[in-house]
Amino acid sequence: MEENIVKKEVVYPYLTRPVEIYERECGHKIVLAHKEGGLVNISSWVKTGSINENDEINGISHFLEHLMFKGTHKHKAGYFDKTLESKGAIVNAATWKDYTFYYVTLPKGPENSYMNEAIELHADMMLDPVIPEDEIGPAFTYGDDNVSQKRERHVVIEEIRMRQDQPWTKIYNNTNKNMYTNHPYRRDVIGFPEIIASVSRETILDYYRTHYTPNNITTIVAGDFDSKEVLEKVVKEFDFKERQNYQNPEYDLDKPVEEEKYFELKGKINTGFAITGWLGPVARDIKDNIGLEIVNVVLGEGQSSRLYQNLIEKVSDPIFNVVTTDFYSFRDGGNFFVQSNFKADKKDDALRLIKKEFEKLSKEGMSEQEFQKAKKKLKARFAESSETVSDIAENIGYYMTVCNELDLVEKYLEDLESYTLEEANQIANKYLQFKNSVTTVLIPE
Amino acid sequence: MKKVILENNIPLVLKQNKNTPRMALCFYFKIENPEKKAGLYTVLNRLFLQGTKNRTAQQLANELDENAIDCYSEMKQDFIRFKLQCLNEDFEKGIEILADIIKNSTFEDFNKEVIKLKGEIPAEMDEPKSKAMDAFYKNIFKNHPYGHTYTKILEDIDDITPQDVRDAYKDLLSNSPKVISLVGDFDENNVIELLKKHFSEIKNTSDFSSKIEAPVLTETQIVKVEKDDAAQAQIIQGWHVPTIFDKDYPAIMVMNTMLGSSGLSSRLFLELRDKKGLAYVVRSSYEIYDKAALFNVYIATEPKNIKTSLEGFKIELDKIKNIPVTEQELANAKNNLIGKRQFFTETNLQQSSLMAFYEDKGLGADYEEKLIEQINHVTADDIQRVANLCIKEPYVLTVLAPKEYLNF
Repeated sequence: MEENIVKKEVVYPYLTRPVEIYERECGHKIVLAHKEGGLVNISSWVKTGSINENDEINGISHFLEHLMFKGTHKHKAGYFDKTLESKGAIVNAATWKDYTFYYVTLPKGPENSYMNEAIELHADMMLDPVIPEDEIGPAFTYGDDNVSQKRERHVVIEEIRMRQDQPWTKIYNNTNKNMYTNHPYRRDVIGFPEIIASVSRETILDYYRTHYTPNNITTIVAGDFDSKEVLEKVVKEFDFKERQNYQNPEYDLDKPVEEEKYFELKGKINTGFAITGWLGPVARDIKDNIGLEIVNVVLGEGQSSRLYQNLIEKVSDPIFNVVTTDFYSFRDGGNFFVQSNFKADKKDDALRLIKKEFEKLSKEGMSEQEFQKAKKKLKARFAESSETVSDIAENIGYYMTVCNELDLVEKYLEDLESYTLEEANQIANKYLQFKNSVTTVLIPE
Repeated sequence: MKKVILENNIPLVLKQNKNTPRMALCFYFKIENPEKKAGLYTVLNRLFLQGTKNRTAQQLANELDENAIDCYSEMKQDFIRFKLQCLNEDFEKGIEILADIIKNSTFEDFNKEVIKLKGEIPAEMDEPKSKAMDAFYKNIFKNHPYGHTYTKILEDIDDITPQDVRDAYKDLLSNSPKVISLVGDFDENNVIELLKKHFSEIKNTSDFSSKIEAPVLTETQIVKVEKDDAAQAQIIQGWHVPTIFDKDYPAIMVMNTMLGSSGLSSRLFLELRDKKGLAYVVRSSYEIYDKAALFNVYIATEPKNIKTSLEGFKIELDKIKNIPVTEQELANAKNNLIGKRQFFTETNLQQSSLMAFYEDKGLGADYEEKLIEQINHVTADDIQRVANLCIKEPYVLTVLAPKEYLNF
């Protein structure tokens, strides 16, 4: 019997055709985006990341992501990479707070043969990972040097080590952890070496079986192809059989800290690093998200930004080497950050000057000129994100997974256009008060 | 793709991509005079967006951002290039600003830019990987402009004067060979008129030849960099090898793909990461310059693994030198390499950049097609031959780690 599939279309700015969204009876969603050119991107986004972890299994989403590449019942470890890379593919995956995604980008090949093979192998990997014990490597106590079989556990531990050497990562992690009281977002996505060294195969498989369910997976294909054929192919290859669905738990949203928090770390470095972070709106609150995107551009993005101009460019002997802002959007509330690198002995001045700029924005607001610049930049960024199949798929994956729907994309430019200066100025006051912030600095020992 | 010689004698390479929202233009100035002091071209390059006779630095930054125009200059070992990217509707404005930057930069903010650079270098050196790479390049290109790394710049920067920068700028504008490339949705006649209007006084010279010698590496060097709190050792080993103009260029590219430049199925990735669990990042690279090229292997690993990693490198390098690759592996590597070339030409800016890069090297903007054909002709014998040609003494090995691990 033919499956009942519900189809929707969403107009995606800067693409020549509407994006097609299909929802299958089992809950699996398939999104097809048309983009002219010889490359195609195939990806599956799973609604799990560190949001579904606890202290015992912190890092398991990311570890599983590594282990998904270690073979299926049909194909041994290495077959997937070798077969697709020998066709010019880029294959990889990423794990973040709200999602884990796997992708293949490659030339379509003669009569779409590479694309079809990639869909087969990608579906096989997503639905039937073996996660063999010998690829994981034996469990061990972290710190024990007598491990004979160093396999994927060690690769991930090396990834953790790499991050320990990055000053920005150190202060980001500490700030992130202290911005939350209860929400799982407080955990570092990559986890701890002690857990990666010892977590069992069974725990990992359980985690896979729980979260990699049809209703939690969106498969996206972006490129130039016949939609009907590709839809049929994806439906055929993604045979979930009787796999049960799983509803992700809802978490209470954390309130921002009520008193400013400050942490100081020391390291063998020559300059000072600082990050201050605030909690932001949930991802589906498009209005407030756009507002903070605008504030981000005005305050801390690029050479025309206030922070760069006032703290570096217009100062004859600046104490800052870097001062920028960033805004990340997450399902249960985004983060706004200001990050800086400064002369090691000027920590107090650096923090004071940044605070002054935020207070000035809060009191006096941004100018019409700054506001229009930010809107234009955000519009151009949207155009930029529709230039490659990878960027298109990644944008779609984000909206489908973090915002649950693609509907917000359709209206993004309209919402941006209708945003007012007054609204943008209110946003800074609403979210970016220093009493609600967490700061971590890293300075030389 | 089309090539036109503009009235000022500058070659313009063009490619129409209809229905694309953004235009992309690259303007190359080849560096043919060695900088006398390390950092001279770096400072010059940084001053390009710091104000013109018509716009202050802030006005420039504002105007670019208000129109969402990406316009910046980049300095590489062999050229300074300007890149311009904007929505089609803003292209004329973009060209006008680019021309203002190229023709009218004042370089007045010299002191401030030097102070900024001197602050940024120690910040960059706080990243262990940057610190290790700095030591590597400084040694493998010792006494050559290619070795003017951040720390070398710090040694020389106080000797650079504003007059040095103005002289270097004049030299670049008058004597440097130039190339322009453009990709997007445009009317060719309008574009040529626009370029004529803004750039007619910048002439191209045809009788200039490079005064930069090829760098020479005479003996093997082991460079040890202490970083006592490093969680990982940074290991880089590199060799001087033939560059893009050599007949062996395609074969070295294929060897590099096989060994470790590309993805999860390369030899170094499989043997050192997947099987031995030594690293998250392990790779090889083939870096092309006009006067030289490097073949490098790199790994970041727990400091106690330094010896095992170096042995792992040796085993894999010896293998490719001594055992012929199978036809299957060769075919896979070639297909991998050729397929991935498409990723370099997906956007208008990437296409424009690659076309100008080849044209600047004198290979012709359409060199990509020839290269793919050459890659297809690489044989297993070629791989073994270039492996033996490239991977031999002398080399430079740089290891950054806590002191106690540097006795390998």
